[in-house]
Amino acid sequence: MTQTPEELYAQREQRFNDVVALKKPDRVPIMPLYVHNFPTLIKGVSNKDAGYDHELRWQSTKEATLRFGWNFAPTNDVLASDFFASFGCQQMMWAGEEGGLAEDAPHQWVEDDYVKADELAEFIADPNGFTFNKIFPRMGSKLEGLGQIPLPPLYWFSNSYYLQVLGNMLGIPPLKAALQAMLDMAEAQEKTNAANGKYLQEMKDLGYPPTWGAALMPAFDAVSDTFRSLRGSTLDMFRQPDTLLQAVDVMQEGTIGLLHAAFAVTGIPRQFIPMHKGAGGFMSNEQFAKFYWPTFRALIEECVAAGITPMPLFEGDYTPRLEFLAELPPGKVAAHFDRIDRKKFKEVCGDTMCFWGNVPSSLLVTGTPQQVKDDVKELIDLFGETGLIIDGPGGIPDQAKPENVEALAEAVEEFGAL
Amino acid sequence: MSKELTDAIVGMDEDGAMRLVSSMLDAGADPAEVLEEAKAAMTVLGDKFECEEVFIPELIMGGEIMKGIADELKPRIKGEAAVADRGTIVLGTVAGDIHDIGKDVVVLMLDVNGYDVHDLGIDVPIDRFVAAINEMRPQVVGLSGLLTLAFDSMKATIEGIGDAGLRDQVKIMIGGSPVDEQICTYTGADGWGRDAAAALRMAAEWTGSAT
Repeated sequence: MTQTPEELYAQREQRFNDVVALKKPDRVPIMPLYVHNFPTLIKGVSNKDAGYDHELRWQSTKEATLRFGWNFAPTNDVLASDFFASFGCQQMMWAGEEGGLAEDAPHQWVEDDYVKADELAEFIADPNGFTFNKIFPRMGSKLEGLGQIPLPPLYWFSNSYYLQVLGNMLGIPPLKAALQAMLDMAEAQEKTNAANGKYLQEMKDLGYPPTWGAALMPAFDAVSDTFRSLRGSTLDMFRQPDTLLQAVDVMQEGTIGLLHAAFAVTGIPRQFIPMHKGAGGFMSNEQFAKFYWPTFRALIEECVAAGITPMPLFEGDYTPRLEFLAELPPGKVAAHFDRIDRKKFKEVCGDTMCFWGNVPSSLLVTGTPQQVKDDVKELIDLFGETGLIIDGPGGIPDQAKPENVEALAEAVEEFGAL
Repeated sequence: MSKELTDAIVGMDEDGAMRLVSSMLDAGADPAEVLEEAKAAMTVLGDKFECEEVFIPELIMGGEIMKGIADELKPRIKGEAAVADRGTIVLGTVAGDIHDIGKDVVVLMLDVNGYDVHDLGIDVPIDRFVAAINEMRPQVVGLSGLLTLAFDSMKATIEGIGDAGLRDQVKIMIGGSPVDEQICTYTGADGWGRDAAAALRMAAEWTGSAT
């Protein structure tokens, strides 16, 4: 009997929830945590065009989901180029911007110490003012005007007479230009949201739940990746550890705030958490315990308490951190792995969390379908009964061969009906 | 070698290391010798990194302490400073990829371990690698990348080096998080690694220099 889209939607969501809860699902699901340019590249669309054509990007994602047999509708995590262009983004490079990357290159973050060592204390003392006056102008060339006026407390303008002062401030040309850039940002975001919304509705109508609603970095990564850079945050660990920890704590408040704000808007009870600097090699276990783990763990627990399934992507090799991960709430975390000792994971964390991943990029991009199938079989043999979702190391790599992505589904067909 | 200076650098005691350098100079030590001793401490850190006793933070902080000491000592060193003599290495992040965290750590460790390192930066096109090999005559070339598009860039770069008739003059290592044996074979590189320790091992082996 043919299932209705509603039944398929419920079945797919149940399959995912069973895996996360460490219950045996009806079959092993294939779920890219996200996709970037894979769906458009296989159609011959350049990365430059994919960044600007939101409708094409999301519709290509729909086609790929149906073609390759994915369980959920993945988020297309290619950034909307016109949004970043609207404020003259200085922290990102992409194909299509003036002086930007080649047409076949994806968006890439430019890591730098956008906040200097001696400014961390300033951020901690006044996160709002510092962000408005210092960080916004550094993020975007068109937002430089925001750095030219001191941001007074808003209650200074709490009657119509005094609001004239604000009117005067807003009329300063650089600030007017920044306000215009903000309107352009809103317009660009509306366009990409419209294409995204259409995709989500169409996928829902076909019986596919969305994978996640928003991405949030752990607080340490937000400080290290986007404020201080690896070098900067490393020097802080030795030269001003208490200040670094205070900045992480301030960022944690923002992270928790955004978690709830995003959930209120999207209503999708799944939260993507990309992780970077906590991986093995990036710090010792002692440093991880001090600088990274407390706020990360609190974020996971906050998700669980709010009824949101956290989806951390443990990028890099987290084998050295398995004893930490074993402390997370059992059966609540959709843990996605990039590189890890699979057998050791099963031994240490098999009773705590499912395994999501991690067919290597090297196989998906340069291997054969048989190599891919062999790897999926190994995953199913190890984790099939105890909670497994098949994916690449972090979604489907842009350059994956379509026949290798098809091999994921063929392998699940062959070995994954439990 | 001053064990105290080694201990201070390896123990991440930046202020202590700088004080020791000052007191050694006050006592009449040769600045060039003090610099060599400081560099030797970085070799100790490299060994500890390889044994997973220390990690990237200690390499970066050690490099920072080293830089502070070198800034203090170099103006006092008369004549030519000792040149790196373990071999010449050219490296960069391949075309299309602008990631540099891993490459920078590798550059730091090769540099403090006595190699003459020429860092070509990020998003490096094939012809710049070829030109650098012609100019610097390195024994080793390092190609770095984080994105999967780097697989083809690495392959094309190695082919380009071959087309220029230079392939048999250099050993080529590739590195980056997604790189493995499969990619090493795919690109035609001589070796691969995911961290600075692997890069140091390959460099030592290929240049015939002791670690």
